[in-house]
Amino acid sequence: MSAQPANPANLANPASRDWPLFEVFIRSKQGLDHKHVGSLHASDAAHAITLARDVYTRRQEGVSIWVVPSNAITASAPEQKAENFDPMASKIYRHPTFYDIPAEVGHM
Amino acid sequence: MLPESTLLTLADTCLISGHRLSEWCGHGPALEEDIALTNTALDAIGQARALLQVVAARRSPAITEDALAYLREPAQFANLALAAAPNTDYAHTVLRSLLLAAWLVPVWDALGHSSDHDIAAIAGNAAKEARVQRRHARQWWVRFGDGTAESRRRAEAAVAALWPLTGELSAVRIPGVDPDAVLSAWWDAVQDAFAEATMPLPTAAPPLSGELAAQAAQWRHALLGEMQSLARQHPGARW
Amino acid sequence: MYTQAIDVGPVDATASRSTTPQDDEFLKRIARDEKIEPQDPMPEAYRKTLIRQISQHAHSEVVGMLPEGGWITRAPSLKRKEILLAKVQDEGGHGLYLYSAAETLGVSRAELIDALHSGKAKYSSIFNYETATWADIGTIGWLVDGAAIMNQVPLCRCSYGPYARAMIRICKEESFHQRQGFDIVRTLCQGTPEQKAMAQESINRWWWPTLMMFGPHDADSPHTGQATAWGIKRITNDDLRQKFVDVTVPQAEFLGLTLPDPDLKWNAARGHYDIGRINWDEFRRVVNGDGPCNAERMHDRVKAFDDGAWVRDAAAAHAAKAAARYATSPDTRIAA
Repeated sequence: MSAQPANPANLANPASRDWPLFEVFIRSKQGLDHKHVGSLHASDAAHAITLARDVYTRRQEGVSIWVVPSNAITASAPEQKAENFDPMASKIYRHPTFYDIPAEVGHM
Repeated sequence: MLPESTLLTLADTCLISGHRLSEWCGHGPALEEDIALTNTALDAIGQARALLQVVAARRSPAITEDALAYLREPAQFANLALAAAPNTDYAHTVLRSLLLAAWLVPVWDALGHSSDHDIAAIAGNAAKEARVQRRHARQWWVRFGDGTAESRRRAEAAVAALWPLTGELSAVRIPGVDPDAVLSAWWDAVQDAFAEATMPLPTAAPPLSGELAAQAAQWRHALLGEMQSLARQHPGARW
Repeated sequence: MYTQAIDVGPVDATASRSTTPQDDEFLKRIARDEKIEPQDPMPEAYRKTLIRQISQHAHSEVVGMLPEGGWITRAPSLKRKEILLAKVQDEGGHGLYLYSAAETLGVSRAELIDALHSGKAKYSSIFNYETATWADIGTIGWLVDGAAIMNQVPLCRCSYGPYARAMIRICKEESFHQRQGFDIVRTLCQGTPEQKAMAQESINRWWWPTLMMFGPHDADSPHTGQATAWGIKRITNDDLRQKFVDVTVPQAEFLGLTLPDPDLKWNAARGHYDIGRINWDEFRRVVNGDGPCNAERMHDRVKAFDDGAWVRDAAAAHAAKAAARYATSPDTRIAA
């Protein structure tokens, strides 16, 4: 799916008849991060914003919306999941619970 | 307090245009757009309910919003003719929304300061909803005017059908609301949308002809015939 | 609103047999209750089965807008009109979430819609029944949505991440659908004799089709084993149907409505209600296209899609023009 607007003349390939796909991110309230909530098809980014408001905030789920063309997202490779993330498991000294603090010292 | 005739003009305009918008639900041109348009239908029907509740409570003895919506005769409705215009195609729906919302935004804005506090409270919320509807319609109007040859042809047909109905707008009088200010805000919004859509703006429409008024009454009659059918089959029933 | 998993079997039974080491690793991940995400390796049969099930589910939501949608313009009070409009709109949203989930598996929405319109793809046959009276709007919410919720809640834990997340959102939104339906039926039962009769007549028509929504008996569902092994199906058809009957019978008693099954009775030994024989001939007939409204539903869907083509094209054409103008002269871009 291309983020470029579909060419209406090109009807041979069914996929080209869809508007481009956008990923939608919503800030549920001031002070929180935008969070991925889903996707939708829209003719361009401005259109995607207005449609995201109607599709994803019908129950006051948000106060701010981001949209990103789906094909603009670069993702880490699933097959590198183990080598990327497993080595972090052994670095237990990064966590506060690794350290014993004598009870007399109190909260730290 | 605003006169009942004013409240009914606004309430019936919202109810009938909301009903027209609701006819698209499940039949929209794209799934996303179906959901978006239904939001504008819900807003309009919600505005109508709020106003009809005020009217109903002020009657003596008090009646209900549903008695006003379902048991009045079509001739007793006070909606703008534009609101009842049939959907025909999406260009007609979008233009009707644009022309109505461009009028309702300044009306609600002015009524937000009304000394009739019940109405001022309704208007504050309705002004936001009307802005959403105006923006939604404006964006589509631009896509149609500046889209494909077919969308432009359909946009032109919608102008031919609906523009004459706007002649009625200059005749509406709402106590406490400056009619010239409303009309000038309406013109600005419509002019701006037509310009971006590269659509030629027609000249001001003359007051509604008797023929057009009769046509609008027929649209309303058919619409209410459907809307009121079940409620009228069961007099006195609660739902 | 939804539907049973109409057909959750593998697309190609032989392809589903785990053969490669990668497939063994996949089954181990499922067994550990790990979620599968779009880019993860997965057996081709799992991917195809999911596309079919999720898209059937999406089609069911969108076709499901039609039977109730026909009453929006005739809803007998303004409150009911708003509620029904919001509910049917939600169903469109649910269809959209599900199409999006299916699209993560490498299929476009246009292809899925083509499959629906050409008759290749199925949707829940419950939507091929007629909504003849206003009471049907209540019955659909109370019984059909009630049955759907039974089915959907376990899907929130299904192994495919995007499907499970869509189902969580759907279940959250759906929680008002069944209640509004029950509320309509309850109001009718407390109303005039004509209204109560309308409610009873509607239940008489919808009870059996609703029970059929859970799909064939377990003994006649050869593919359930595979779907369960893949973590797509969590509870069997008969178990879900039983659960639905057990919670619904007391609700009908509360309303003073009779369920149209002379064999329906409490079985103390089992701790469940027994029901009569389901007419599977009717089920197959409706699934295979010979229900009361199959042709009408498809006609309405295809018409809406075809009538909307010029609208979608206009938006795409305008976006292309605006993008070209922006590319040559960014300063002239008009913010929408």
